[in-house]
Amino acid sequence: MTNNSRKFIPTSLYPAKTKRIITVSLIFVIGFYLVSSITTESFIINFILKASNITDLIARFFPPDWGYVSNVWGKLFETIHMAIIATTIATLVSIPFTLLTAQNITTNKVLYNFMRFLLNIIRTIPDIILAVVFVGLFGIGMFSGIIALIIFSIGILVKLMSEIIEAIDMNPSEAIKASGGNTIQTIWYAVVPQVLPQFISFSLYVFEINIRASVVLGLVGAGGIGQLINKEINFLNYPAVSTIVLIIFAVVVVIDYISGKLREGIL
Amino acid sequence: MIEFKNLSLTYPNGTKGLKNINIKINEGEFVVIVGLSGAGKSTFIRSINRLVTPTEGDLLVDGENILKHNGKSLRELRKKVGMIFQNYNLVKRSTVLKNVISGRLGYTGTLKSILNMYSKEDMNMAYENLKRVNIEEKLYSRADELSGGQQQRVSIARVLTQKPNVILADEPVASLDPPTSHQVMTYLRQINKEDKITTIVNLHFIDMAMEYADRIIGMRAGEVVYDGPVSEVTEKTFEEIYGRSIREEDMRGGAADDE
Repeated sequence: MTNNSRKFIPTSLYPAKTKRIITVSLIFVIGFYLVSSITTESFIINFILKASNITDLIARFFPPDWGYVSNVWGKLFETIHMAIIATTIATLVSIPFTLLTAQNITTNKVLYNFMRFLLNIIRTIPDIILAVVFVGLFGIGMFSGIIALIIFSIGILVKLMSEIIEAIDMNPSEAIKASGGNTIQTIWYAVVPQVLPQFISFSLYVFEINIRASVVLGLVGAGGIGQLINKEINFLNYPAVSTIVLIIFAVVVVIDYISGKLREGIL
Repeated sequence: MIEFKNLSLTYPNGTKGLKNINIKINEGEFVVIVGLSGAGKSTFIRSINRLVTPTEGDLLVDGENILKHNGKSLRELRKKVGMIFQNYNLVKRSTVLKNVISGRLGYTGTLKSILNMYSKEDMNMAYENLKRVNIEEKLYSRADELSGGQQQRVSIARVLTQKPNVILADEPVASLDPPTSHQVMTYLRQINKEDKITTIVNLHFIDMAMEYADRIIGMRAGEVVYDGPVSEVTEKTFEEIYGRSIREEDMRGGAADDE
């Protein structure tokens, strides 16, 4: 059979069709990059062309104004208080929701799907938008920030915890049920011991997130040290801003370290 | 007394778990149910405390039809019907004592049980039951620090703390080695005789069934194919129940090492 056709030697590792598809896709992708770049007038080359701006601005931040430090503490503690209150309330409020969004606990499909849907919606709202909304509702200040953080934290905690609950060993629950325990007793005796370490660990993690988030929320007037940053930027008082940023950096590192160590100890 | 009357169970996917079962189990009997895996032994046992719900017929426990039970009445049923599982089903991160006292949950109010407010009598009972299975020195150990045999003894203590009239044991020794298996079965047998607790055990080991049972019920494909006192059972009976000749894997062995 082979002698009446010319000997076939493959020239490529891929069939011709695959190569065509890849080439066309590549052209499309490059096209999108170009179009996006032109319409937004942002070119990667600017990074080099405008390097002088960057160095100028950075230079204006230095040296930090160390005399400003005493003005920072009050707002800094406000930020930490916001994170503590928001995390504590969110942790407590999220408990029933984590149970309602865990399929192995909430066997009622309608209720489970409804709760899932509700929590998904909450999670799609960015924390900064929540802050803007609550500042509109309750006015500028910590209270709006705390409410925003609570809702934001519930979204995260419920998602993480319901997945942990769905992964637990259900055999102990069966045993508790079989010995006459009611639903709450079954959860308390068979579910809680299995998930408590993770629950505490996640709460600490959310506390870390809340410290960082509350800094940003201040920019829209939701209290805390962000408000101070916002004020000083508007006054073009860059040395003060860099003092604040350095202090926040130090505090976040310390809190993350402590909470990380605590979580290691728990798990 | 437990009475199965024309009892059948069809799972939602159409599988027949039980087919027209008619059985009477008397108070204080030690019944061993034998059969290959998938024969319906587990379904049979789990019907009695309603972990599964039969779809047709009647199931009477102490004269009450339990198929209609729900909520409160179901919990009342489960208080008097204790259960032991193949995988012990202890809460692994909790202490031995907390696992054992959870046998009292059916008798304890929700709030009290959440706050660990157990009466002196309950605590005493839990400790005495741990003593009974010789594991009282592990009182405050975490359950996952114990060996399989020890965990199964803790689960026996838990079931005793529940003060049941009936103990169901679903393959209680399938995860254990031969000497430990005999130890666990000996405890179950002893409790059955001393406390007159009706005991129903699923086993697939022929030698163990013969050694510990008063009465043997054989199941195949969801039907009861044999029911009689252990004295009338021979190897031939098991061949009929299993529908094949007896193999080495049907024996646990090891009884001699224990004695």
